Amino acid sequence: MTWSTVAPVISAAFLASLVEAVEAFTIVLAVATLRGWRPAAIGTIGGLAVLAGTILLLGPVLDPVPVASLQLAIGILLLLFGMGWLRKASLRLAGVIPLHDEEAAFAAETAQLDQQAQRRQQNLQWVAGITALKAVLLEGLEVVFIVIAVGAGRGLLMPASLGALAACALVLVIGAVVHRPLSRVPENLLKFGVGVMLSAFGVFWTGEGLGIAWPGQDFALLLFATLFLAAGLSGASLARRVSAEVVL
Amino acid sequence: MTVLKEVVAELIGMFIAEKRLTTAVLAVVTVAGCLANFTDLDPLVGGSVMLIGCLVLLIESVWRSARADAA
Repeated sequence: MTWSTVAPVISAAFLASLVEAVEAFTIVLAVATLRGWRPAAIGTIGGLAVLAGTILLLGPVLDPVPVASLQLAIGILLLLFGMGWLRKASLRLAGVIPLHDEEAAFAAETAQLDQQAQRRQQNLQWVAGITALKAVLLEGLEVVFIVIAVGAGRGLLMPASLGALAACALVLVIGAVVHRPLSRVPENLLKFGVGVMLSAFGVFWTGEGLGIAWPGQDFALLLFATLFLAAGLSGASLARRVSAEVVL
Repeated sequence: MTVLKEVVAELIGMFIAEKRLTTAVLAVVTVAGCLANFTDLDPLVGGSVMLIGCLVLLIESVWRSARADAA
């Protein structure tokens, strides 16, 4: 296990998890602000428990799968997932779609919970707990996929998990200190970077799964990442030009 | 049940950000796989087709979305 192999895996898992953890934290914070920390904590723990169960179930299922098939399946999923993120981040960079705003997401979630309180139709603590659980579960699923995707192909699940855990711990610590949505995290920049890395991993794993021996082995990832970065920036530049032409 | 539905929707949404892009990427991967495994060409030709195809598809998808938004 060399640093050149492990570093891209850890950084991809860390950065992707950072984005997802910030989004989940915003919703959990909205729940805690309106309904107290108890339902927020119970929902969060519930979501984490379901995620842990998913990982424990998936691990043994993936073990007997031949490496080439695993690389091919994961590579294709990574390509679709990574290029989806990169496409969205490019459109946001070009100003075609608005940037994700944690303050706005917090306000929307708070308003929704407030509306439910006014209607008094359901047990509010229950609704708040389920809201927190859903947030952790839905954002966490992406983290689980990314960890498995970047780690499973080469038996690097542990470093990938550590990268993801470090990101979640960082968000938790900063969130506990500032006690407000982490709106200053440059989310689109992170999504752009992660989209580049995941797309590069996607091409790499898919190729290996198809029996293609990339020249330079792991170093080919650097070339792929550079090309996806250039493609994302070119796409954003073209999109900006299209928007500008319409304004004129 | 609603939570389960949302989880399934989230899982599908993770990989199908845009139907056309998803279909096109799968087509490029299929072509690359055929070139690498069922022809006499060097497998790297298939790999290059996949890499360049994905890069072109990404730029085209962003450009097309911007045009659709502007129209």
